[in-house]
Amino acid sequence: MDIIYYECKKAFTSPILIALLLLFASYNILLIVSTSDRREELKVANQLAGKYGVGITDDSMNQFREDLQHDLVKLNEITRTDYSEAELDFFTELQLKEKYYEMANDIDNRYDQIDWEQIGESQINMYRFSGSAADTMKNEYIKLSLRFEEMKDNDEHKMWFFAGDPYKMHSFLFRTIFGHVIFESLIIIALAAALITNYEFENRTHLVAYTTTRGRRLMRDKLAASLLTATTVSVFILILTLGTYFAVFDYSHLWGSSISSALNWEYKLPYVSWWNISFSAFLIWSILLVYASMMLFTAIIFSISIFVKNNYFTFFIFAVFFAVALLLPGFIPASTNLIFIAGYNLSQLVMNPHMFLMGNSSGAMMFKNYEWITICAWTIIVVALSYISLRRFRKQDIH
Amino acid sequence: MIVVKNVSKYYGNFCALNNITLELHNGVYGLLAPNGAGKTTLIKMLATLITPSQGEIVYDGKNIIHMDDEFRALLGYLPQQFGYYNNYSPKQYLLYLAALKGMGRKDSIRIIKELLEKVALSEVGNKKMKKFSGGMIQRVGIAQALLNNPKVLILDEPTAGLDPKERARFRNLLSELARDRLVIVSTHIVSDVESIANEVIMIKHQEVLYKDSVENICNTLAGHVYETTIDYGHLDAFRNRYTVLLEKQESGEMNIRFIHKGAAAEGWLSVTPSLEDVFLYEYRDEIRMEV
Repeated sequence: MDIIYYECKKAFTSPILIALLLLFASYNILLIVSTSDRREELKVANQLAGKYGVGITDDSMNQFREDLQHDLVKLNEITRTDYSEAELDFFTELQLKEKYYEMANDIDNRYDQIDWEQIGESQINMYRFSGSAADTMKNEYIKLSLRFEEMKDNDEHKMWFFAGDPYKMHSFLFRTIFGHVIFESLIIIALAAALITNYEFENRTHLVAYTTTRGRRLMRDKLAASLLTATTVSVFILILTLGTYFAVFDYSHLWGSSISSALNWEYKLPYVSWWNISFSAFLIWSILLVYASMMLFTAIIFSISIFVKNNYFTFFIFAVFFAVALLLPGFIPASTNLIFIAGYNLSQLVMNPHMFLMGNSSGAMMFKNYEWITICAWTIIVVALSYISLRRFRKQDIH
Repeated sequence: MIVVKNVSKYYGNFCALNNITLELHNGVYGLLAPNGAGKTTLIKMLATLITPSQGEIVYDGKNIIHMDDEFRALLGYLPQQFGYYNNYSPKQYLLYLAALKGMGRKDSIRIIKELLEKVALSEVGNKKMKKFSGGMIQRVGIAQALLNNPKVLILDEPTAGLDPKERARFRNLLSELARDRLVIVSTHIVSDVESIANEVIMIKHQEVLYKDSVENICNTLAGHVYETTIDYGHLDAFRNRYTVLLEKQESGEMNIRFIHKGAAAEGWLSVTPSLEDVFLYEYRDEIRMEV
């Protein structure tokens, strides 16, 4: 453990890494605080879930309607034109409640208009899928259609949540905030893992370090230290960012709401997760997926470092690897299933955190179990890569 | 005991060492050769940094590559270019290396204190090494090589950067250490090993030229080393005819030390050969090329 501690210390005493960590943390806090002007309006969804329960049922809707009528009577009683602050707040709140009521009332109607198989056809035409790729897409949309019907039957989508239009809180949290966390962590992790792995070669201490009793097993410690550093960096950024986010935006009655809530309908189509999961479960799974991806990226950077033995080249090669993996499906003919197989990569996975576990995504990411298969497949690849790198290092001449 | 058995090292078609066989017991061995002769390659193979292309190196009958950490636990190594962490103090750096050598923290702290005293760095033990002179860094290097009380101590150009006083102290330290361990000192400075080495190994053209005591190696030139004084104007002709080892200007004339393997001329004084004479004679071609 002593050795791992010493290796981690090399990263955590690096001025560049400390400066980046503080810069990114400050930026995230600023980003969240700068959007906090809507927090008052967002409280309405929380209030509704608190008062009527998180599920939207016929009983709760009746109760909601009665309360709204009561509020309207109260509104009609106000005849003055010089309104107090409290009255203005009451107007806004009432307006928002009415909007939420309308949205909740309109769920069945809007959902009945959705035909996933038809959407699938238009997607196939839009992206010009043909042959086996088109068949796969069709099958996938049939599965999604069945899942959508199941959702409509069990009413899991009928839950209060922040109105997707206009607030787009799901996108803000899982695309913007998580996206920032992912890229920031990735930059620091890439630099830290390369620094730890190449430290002896960069400082010309390799001849001393690798002739000690620990010898080339030191590389294993460096891998462990890189993973530990990556964990610390990810956890630090996640805790600080999400801590700020949930301190600013109140989710107290919405943790149990469904991630596929019909109210969370932001763009053309609603979110449809492959499983019936709550917002809190989705958040936990998202954190775990991001963490697993970070660990895998760390091991990839570690393996690159062993081969190139230079921090800047390692960073550059990793950036190229990330970009190539991201763009790869675009270079594959849309007539074979290879286009989807190419999509099972970590770059594609982390680029769309708001679509984790969702069936209404695009490309390979819409497939059920995409996330688990990607993580498992890449775990096998990365374990093999790390093993080969360590084995190569063990046998190579050190000059 | 270390035995180097028919060891060769190739880099593609280039042969860095050719069929080296050596037997090394406790004591000081001076590995003497000009730069590029292959001594660092041999040292790195002994330190398990590079593996032989042919042959093997065994310690007490076991291949050092197979012994792995068991061999490195017995090894102390100071490379030619000793690297260090700029922002670490000697104590911090030695603590790190002690951890890599599998030493406990408590023992390490005690041993590091003793070693820093031994290499006269106690007073700067907590100062950052970026402010150190070359000689101070080299002494940190010597201290780290001794951390684990090694049975096999390999020092590659250990006196580089040391001033005369430090060199003398280092030689005394080596003599003291060599009583119960095997010490290999690789150098191209003859005086570093002449007085303390039990045996000198000379490598030429990637092969072992000599492995013998200083006395026996010097005896290979017995009766062939002379000193004489000539006019400055005859110097070029003299250089062309004999292998000149040393030239010194004295009272307008040249005092010459040279080798001649025939009958002595009048005015020549036969002198006892030194290790430096053998070194200059054997490596005359390489030295001329370097000049």
